Amino acid sequence: MDLLIQLTLNGLFNGAHFALLAMGFALIFGTTGVVHFAYGPVYAVGAYIVWALVALAGLPFWAAVILGVAATAAFGVASYLFIYRPFEIGGSPPFVVLVASLGLFIVLKNLIGIVFGTDVKTVDSVAYDVHFVGDAFFTTVQVGQVLAALLVGCGIALFLRASRYGKAIRAMADNREMATVIGIDTKRLSILVFALGSAVSAVAGSLVLLRDGLNPNMGFGAVFVAFVAVIVGGVGSLRGAVIAGFLLAFVQSLGMWQIPTEWQNTIVFVVLFGFLLARPSGIVRRA
Amino acid sequence: MSKNSVFAALLLGSVFAAGGAMAADPEVYKIGGIFAMTGASPHYGKVMSGGAQLAVDEINAKGGIDGTKLQLVVEDHKSGSAQAAVAGMNRLIDVEGVKAVLPSFSTVTLATMPIGDQKKILMLNGGGVSAQTVGTSPYMFNIRSMASDLAGGIAHRAADQGAKKLAQIAIKSEFGDATIAATTKAWEGMGLKMVAAEQFQADAANIDTQVAKLRASQPDAIANWPTTPQAGLAVKRLRELGMKQPVYCMEWTAEDSKVAGKHAEGVEVVTDYFAATDENPWSKRFAEAYKAKFGDMPDFYAANYYEGVYVIAELIRRSKAKGGDYYTGERLVQALWENPTFDSVYGKTLTFRKNGVAQKPVAVFRLENGEPKFVKFTSAE
Repeated sequence: MDLLIQLTLNGLFNGAHFALLAMGFALIFGTTGVVHFAYGPVYAVGAYIVWALVALAGLPFWAAVILGVAATAAFGVASYLFIYRPFEIGGSPPFVVLVASLGLFIVLKNLIGIVFGTDVKTVDSVAYDVHFVGDAFFTTVQVGQVLAALLVGCGIALFLRASRYGKAIRAMADNREMATVIGIDTKRLSILVFALGSAVSAVAGSLVLLRDGLNPNMGFGAVFVAFVAVIVGGVGSLRGAVIAGFLLAFVQSLGMWQIPTEWQNTIVFVVLFGFLLARPSGIVRRA
Repeated sequence: MSKNSVFAALLLGSVFAAGGAMAADPEVYKIGGIFAMTGASPHYGKVMSGGAQLAVDEINAKGGIDGTKLQLVVEDHKSGSAQAAVAGMNRLIDVEGVKAVLPSFSTVTLATMPIGDQKKILMLNGGGVSAQTVGTSPYMFNIRSMASDLAGGIAHRAADQGAKKLAQIAIKSEFGDATIAATTKAWEGMGLKMVAAEQFQADAANIDTQVAKLRASQPDAIANWPTTPQAGLAVKRLRELGMKQPVYCMEWTAEDSKVAGKHAEGVEVVTDYFAATDENPWSKRFAEAYKAKFGDMPDFYAANYYEGVYVIAELIRRSKAKGGDYYTGERLVQALWENPTFDSVYGKTLTFRKNGVAQKPVAVFRLENGEPKFVKFTSAE
């Protein structure tokens, strides 16, 4: 029973991390249609910037996160303007943009290794506590992950529902051509969602810096989970991406209760295949 | 002249041509290295290639082998990609013309071993610990203690310290599988109980589920088999969970100490023993030269590949002294078995056993302030 409680808690905390990643990816993919695989290394870049600001520049963690999130947003915008936008203007088919995103993924991953080194980066100056509830445990960082997912999720939901730009983003996600016809500036909105999505990834990356440390390959797992969550959740649905993020984490964690843990990653694919077969449009169906 | 006389003369001539006459030296003796230069564990590639390159530089500074220089040609297996390793191995042999290769990682060594065997290339592994590399090819040699040996050493150490129930955690890989199997065999062979064996994917950063299951199994001691940097991550997680049981590893680098931070304190490592000592001047010279060049003290991986280059250079020297077409994988292997003993940077000499594995000193270390402190030598078989 203790193990089951612990695995449930693990699912909750990992689900918060997955949900953050999925939200950022869903914003970009759902709105622009760009399968932004370089989202993974962009997330890593954000975390590395935070690390550099804390470990090298000596900034307090909270200040480093604010600056890191802003810098990652700018980085995401640059990736759109300099890599994807030219293809959009040229009317390139989606698979060309997909190949470009894979190219950007490799370039960024290697650049991280060159600029920051390939060794693991950790932050020793930020201590965090471990809390026990009965025999189950969790850390302050994990609580931070849940709070971050909650705050970012509510913030984005509010922004999408209540603001003019948010409504325009939803319109663009529903039908890009129609949005263009009615005068919505899709280029500006694409810039905005790349900024927002990248910023969200940096929040997730900052917390992973404290929890696990950083390495140049960390982006692959992140974009993989985010992509699967968006597909399982239903492309274009932020709510679906969040639900799927938690679902994947709970399946990964609770699924290992009686199954050997070596199957942990495989089970994500099983969920993906299952959903693609049973519910191709994902958890949240869109009209 | 009878037909038989002509045949005998031709045979004699061919024997002289093949064995008696001295083949021309190559422009340079190229030694291949297949290392983890990128991917999840580039630390290994850095130290292994660093040790090998230092040996090449030292030998070349002394004039090479009778005036012919050595060159280290490095291929990247991207931290365990068999596909990259096979491509690299083929390139080393077919394009670079190497006759000896230094592979690393169990998966890589196993993937490239059939190529070395088929193309008769001497392979000298200083990193992988899979027992499957032993006794399967006459061209395969190991200057690293095998996982089965180290697992036995760790099982004995844990039992000596009073553990009755052991739990294991490992990466899902050939190395992880082999190590879990070897440890289980050694542990249960002593009549003790194995309570858990959890595994995770090589690129996994989050191992909370595995650690939770280890904790639930309530072991007396934990065998921590992941490689860098997950070895450090696993220790960090175990200690964060309040698990105070002794933790034993067979892999631990400075990178792991960095990841584990204060939680590394007290972790024990049973592994190949390298330490620079006054009693062993070569070890001191090597350690000082390595530190001067790379800024860090060498670990046993750096020492193994440093030593590996010296072994290969010595084989080339011995083979050349015998004359003929001396620079082939077959001749290098022949030279090794004619005298399987070599000077060792670990102290005195190393001798290859009949199974192709060089016997090395294995020791228990305890981590204190992130640094491994020697505790004692232990049985590794």
